[in-house]
Amino acid sequence: MYEKHLMICGATGCLSSGSNLVEEALVEELEKHGIRDKYRLVMGGCPGFCEVGPIIVVYPDEVFYCRLKPKDMAELVEKHLLEGEIVERLLYKGPDVVVPARFYDTIPFYAKHKFNVLRTSGIIDPESIDEYIMRGGYRAFTRALSMEPLAICEEVKEAGLRGRGGAGFSTGLKWEFTNKAPGPKKYVVCNADEGDPGAFMDRSILEGDPHAILEGMLICGRAIGADEGYIYCRAEYPLAISRLKIAIRQAEEYGLLGKNILGYDFNFKMNIKEGAGAFVCGEETALLGSIEGKRGMPRPRPPFPAQSGLFGKPTTINNVETFANVPLIVKEGGVLEFAAIGTEGSKGTKVFALAGKVRNTGLCEVPMGITIREIIYDVGGGIKRGKEFKAVQAGGPSGGCIPAEQIDLPIDYDSLNKAGAIMGSGGLVVMDEGTCMVDLARYFLSFTQKESCGKCTPCREGTKRMLEILDRISEGAGVPEDLDTLDSLAASIKDSSLCGLGQTCPNPVLSTIRYFREEYEEHITDKFCRAGICKELFTYRIDQEKCTGCTACARVCPVDAIKGEKKEPHEIEQDLCTRCGSCVEKCRQDCILVVPQGREADVSN
Amino acid sequence: MKKFIDHCCEKCTHTKDNPCKDFVKCCIEGPVCHESSSCSARRKAIIDEVALNDQFIIC
Repeated sequence: MYEKHLMICGATGCLSSGSNLVEEALVEELEKHGIRDKYRLVMGGCPGFCEVGPIIVVYPDEVFYCRLKPKDMAELVEKHLLEGEIVERLLYKGPDVVVPARFYDTIPFYAKHKFNVLRTSGIIDPESIDEYIMRGGYRAFTRALSMEPLAICEEVKEAGLRGRGGAGFSTGLKWEFTNKAPGPKKYVVCNADEGDPGAFMDRSILEGDPHAILEGMLICGRAIGADEGYIYCRAEYPLAISRLKIAIRQAEEYGLLGKNILGYDFNFKMNIKEGAGAFVCGEETALLGSIEGKRGMPRPRPPFPAQSGLFGKPTTINNVETFANVPLIVKEGGVLEFAAIGTEGSKGTKVFALAGKVRNTGLCEVPMGITIREIIYDVGGGIKRGKEFKAVQAGGPSGGCIPAEQIDLPIDYDSLNKAGAIMGSGGLVVMDEGTCMVDLARYFLSFTQKESCGKCTPCREGTKRMLEILDRISEGAGVPEDLDTLDSLAASIKDSSLCGLGQTCPNPVLSTIRYFREEYEEHITDKFCRAGICKELFTYRIDQEKCTGCTACARVCPVDAIKGEKKEPHEIEQDLCTRCGSCVEKCRQDCILVVPQGREADVSN
Repeated sequence: MKKFIDHCCEKCTHTKDNPCKDFVKCCIEGPVCHESSSCSARRKAIIDEVALNDQFIIC
């Protein structure tokens, strides 16, 4: 028996901030003291709070250590493990806590969390099927094996589960369609091709709890009458793929995959298909084409995959988070438990990747219906550097922008749709007053334009024309008619594109015009970018009265555009300046001014 | 018995080729098909090795 368990976040986020080095240092310290055998170390799943990684949680004491470095391990071992004293300096500290916070229930980031999908992430060893079983794993599947397939579909419908990948279609209904489609061969496909910039919800679930996905897919297979499944996962997720492979091997060894599973007349084979990372392959028909070995391009619907999907056979496609919810519903008493969370039209929880200008970035799982304010201020800890909240982009490049005036909007499928955004897969990018909304729309449209597969003209050509107009506006060459042209092009692209990528890609442009029209007009009419982002519309100038000549700006300037003697006010050579903003970031006296081109008044940084 | 798939004694016959309907339940609550305190203890030992606290097990 171990004295303690040390759960180290081994997910990609913490690995990139050095959790593997922290683990090595910890092992070294334990060996140095000759106590390695007394403690269990697990590189586990993501506890969500990426902002403060690397993280170690010590059990059973339930102490949450964060922002760890390899050199901290000596103190952690000597004080906590050997002397039983908590190392206070390694606990969570921040403006939102009075005293260093010890565990989940005292860290404000976790106060609004409801762990459903992330129920075991960070708690179990993701490479152990035994631990998944200990946490109730494969019980729902065992129950599903004794149920009539349509009864399973009915439970999933009754629970109100809607697809977590995009449009939010009823999962149980989708399963029922495939169940009722004729034919002896059917497939289950898991869409793990998470492509939205900044989104990593599915990756974290796969890395932290791979058996939950397998169990969800097995239950689906039983419900629709499929005997084979594919997990389509992008190759950029090597850890997720490695853990899935281990999970599949274990499930086969335990007789939970294969033939006559647990003695029932049910067979299931699981395959992994690695995708090359094209955004469009997240669209279900393009994804199916890619699995079939064809170029990843969408095909017209109908027929829908439920009638004719993978290799022309009836197929159910759901995303990772949707499948991870399924065992919670199909377990004994799960329907009522699941439906008790959320709103009338959006049941359960949603995992969001919170990014942008908030203090606390990371993964959060919250009940549907939570407001934007709660996510930004309670979970996210508010806007960085005390700036004003301006807007949030929900749903990635296919989603829309919600302005500060709607901060009390509940986050559910219907409310987001009404506001011109979508739930999407769950990306939330928070923006402050320093964000230019024209530039934001241009960024997302340039992403979808580059990722357009080119098959249909409205998406291929329309996005190019829209991007040209946005480029022109941000360079100060826009004309008043441009806004009407953007509106009209967006409507055509939405109406006539072949797939979801084209049908939704104008959303960031439409929503920013809808809520921030005056910013577009300022760019066009006044040649003015209030955020100081569009480089053609402003210059930087050093306030000669405030500058102390510390040379910090000159040293960081990549093109040597800043001149001046030490302890004398500096100046910027406008011909050389590329307006990269490095000097603004570096100046401690706030003496670099943004000088708009189209208006007289200076706007300080 | 190091893993749940290992047999606790000769009475357990679950393998992927000879599956038992009660296998998943048996991992935590077993043995289901016979009574044996030592077989039960073997399962508990696997659990105790990794359980983080008293609330770790979910049946």
